[in-house]
Amino acid sequence: MPKCTIDGRETEVATGTTVMNAALGLGIHIPHFCWHPDLPVDGNCRMCMVEIDGAPKLMIACNTQVNEGMVIQTHSEKAAEAHRTTLEFLLVNHPIDCPVCDQAGECYLQDQYMGHGLHDSRVQLEDKVAKRKVVDLGPIMLDAERCVLCSRCIRFEQHVTGTNSFGFVDRGNKTQIATFEDRPIEHGYSGNLADVCPVGALLSRDFRFKTRVWFLESAESVCPGCSTGCNVSVDHRDGEVQRLRPRRNAAVNQSWMCDEGRALYKALGTDRLVSASIRDDSGRRGLSTDAVLDAVAERLRGARVAMLATPQATNEDLFAFRLLADRLGALLDFRIGNPQDKLREREDAVLLRADRNPNTQGCLDLGMGRSGVDAILDACRRSEVDVLLLQGTEWLASVANVEAPFVVVMASHDDLVLESAHVVLPTSVWAEGDGTFTNYQRRVQRIRAAVPAPHGSLPRWELAGALLRRLGVSFEAATAREVFSLLARAVPDYGALSHRTLDPEGHPLPLEIGALG
Amino acid sequence: MAGRIVVVDRNQKVGVSPLLLGMGLTFMNFLRSLFGRHATIEYPEKRRTISGRYRGIHLLTVREDDTPKCVACYMCATICPAECIHIEAGEREEKTIEKYPTRFEIDLLRCVYCGFCVDACPEEAIMMSRENDLVGTSRAELIIDRDRLIARGRLAEEGPGYRPSDHDVRRPVRIAALERLEREHGIVPRMPTRSDLIPPSQT
Repeated sequence: MPKCTIDGRETEVATGTTVMNAALGLGIHIPHFCWHPDLPVDGNCRMCMVEIDGAPKLMIACNTQVNEGMVIQTHSEKAAEAHRTTLEFLLVNHPIDCPVCDQAGECYLQDQYMGHGLHDSRVQLEDKVAKRKVVDLGPIMLDAERCVLCSRCIRFEQHVTGTNSFGFVDRGNKTQIATFEDRPIEHGYSGNLADVCPVGALLSRDFRFKTRVWFLESAESVCPGCSTGCNVSVDHRDGEVQRLRPRRNAAVNQSWMCDEGRALYKALGTDRLVSASIRDDSGRRGLSTDAVLDAVAERLRGARVAMLATPQATNEDLFAFRLLADRLGALLDFRIGNPQDKLREREDAVLLRADRNPNTQGCLDLGMGRSGVDAILDACRRSEVDVLLLQGTEWLASVANVEAPFVVVMASHDDLVLESAHVVLPTSVWAEGDGTFTNYQRRVQRIRAAVPAPHGSLPRWELAGALLRRLGVSFEAATAREVFSLLARAVPDYGALSHRTLDPEGHPLPLEIGALG
Repeated sequence: MAGRIVVVDRNQKVGVSPLLLGMGLTFMNFLRSLFGRHATIEYPEKRRTISGRYRGIHLLTVREDDTPKCVACYMCATICPAECIHIEAGEREEKTIEKYPTRFEIDLLRCVYCGFCVDACPEEAIMMSRENDLVGTSRAELIIDRDRLIARGRLAEEGPGYRPSDHDVRRPVRIAALERLEREHGIVPRMPTRSDLIPPSQT
């Protein structure tokens, strides 16, 4: 365990730790372009020069291991001079595209220039080497002129997706990044290329010209696309989600997320249900949620009830739903077959899992797999069920076939299949509320509200809570956080957790499911 | 602080002469505007000459091929304290300047005419005209869109108003700010100043 001193602060690090990581551990930022926490070290940009006592020359922080007693200065006069000159070199052929470049505002070159450069260019605009611009690579737009040749994209393709699409072509100051014959990027992780690119050379086509990044606000959340539970930032503006970006979590998704997950924000604002409705002999009528809940509660009293939960819901939703099932003595389940079957199976070699639900594990943890969906549908066929309560729309099509009695469904989006339900209750979705998901590793992770839910829709836990109250059960929780503390009291495995203390990287639970509450 | 000190003697008797003097002045002005130079003009048939730096209704400039110079960088919308500029960007055919505004709207009823948008513009695309009469029959009419911003009617006769080449707004603001920081507060940031960046031979 070598000790070293960085900028006058002593630290002890594991053997083999690089100066870059040791400095980051102290919260010291060393300017860099090619180094990335989740890619192998390349050391080509020469930006991260630091002064090490006793070394004849400056060393690169990203590829120098800490030795016992090393004294490192990251911003000494000599190091700062190196940062400045390297930066000037990188900017020699850089175009003046900032006004039209989507990276502006989150661009390493801009940031480093403001922090370490601030020089006036010595290169006339017409002397700059022109390279290819606006090259369409499918989901990615390439601008070779803006590239600083850090090779992050090349290494991403080599080591993460294994697709090797990118390479350098030509030599000297004409070197540029390209794919072979401009073939489009076809793997399902293309969005990460725009993320790893420190400059505006690779940009997302989806986000192209949409807004400027400094208008965006961000909420730390979790992708609801599959049971991996990639950590994401939900970037939004004026109540509309503009994009999803992966948020680094070394234990779950490193710095990546798949394109399928990245596109999920698009469904948030379209075809949303805004009003509760009830269907009777005279047809479907829109009513206030309160009135509809009154009607549902009336039907539930003394009825034989079956309930189907959804693994799309948060733990808070599921817990409130289960309280309702307990009160009604209802049949309860959420999926067909052995729940463990596909839970941990991978769909591709990187992140995406076969189970496209973010909270299957949460369903299991909260004891939702009780009766079996088949048994419930059979019971409906035998007319042993008076009211069927659906937390999501997954089983609605199957339910329509069994001529179920009185079907109540919680749904977020308008869909033809909803016609078969007797009551539709509009719900908010993941980006609109707080909560937790438990991923395939049994890691409990927080999701946070980014945008307001459409007027008239409520979180699923609130709908279940409202029914509980109408049935005379006290349900005190007014926020998702309070629901979670009720949950923590009831489910021993979650006992030590709360929204407030759940750390940013989530909390891993032991893989064996403990006693159910 | 060298100010002029005026001693007022409160005990001095107030005579009738200053009163008459004042009334005389008023009467002279009355006569002057009745028979000579008027204090008012017959607006809108007649208009005053307005300063070349007047910050009137905005205009968008165009390139030689009549496309707007604006590249939809949102700098004006970013700096705007009234948040009255709304831009939507689109893709241009030409690859060297790939971005242009498909929508560019200024809500003139929200605008405070501070001219920050003009200062912020990197392309000299947004300027101000000397038009100061803002008249409309509805609120919607005064949300002025891209094409109306380009076609500023009275520009030919009146000339432009506040514009970037007008005075020293093109001077590198950051260096001025750094110098001021050092001069006024004695703070030298760890960033290089102008003298660091220019070799001694050039200074």
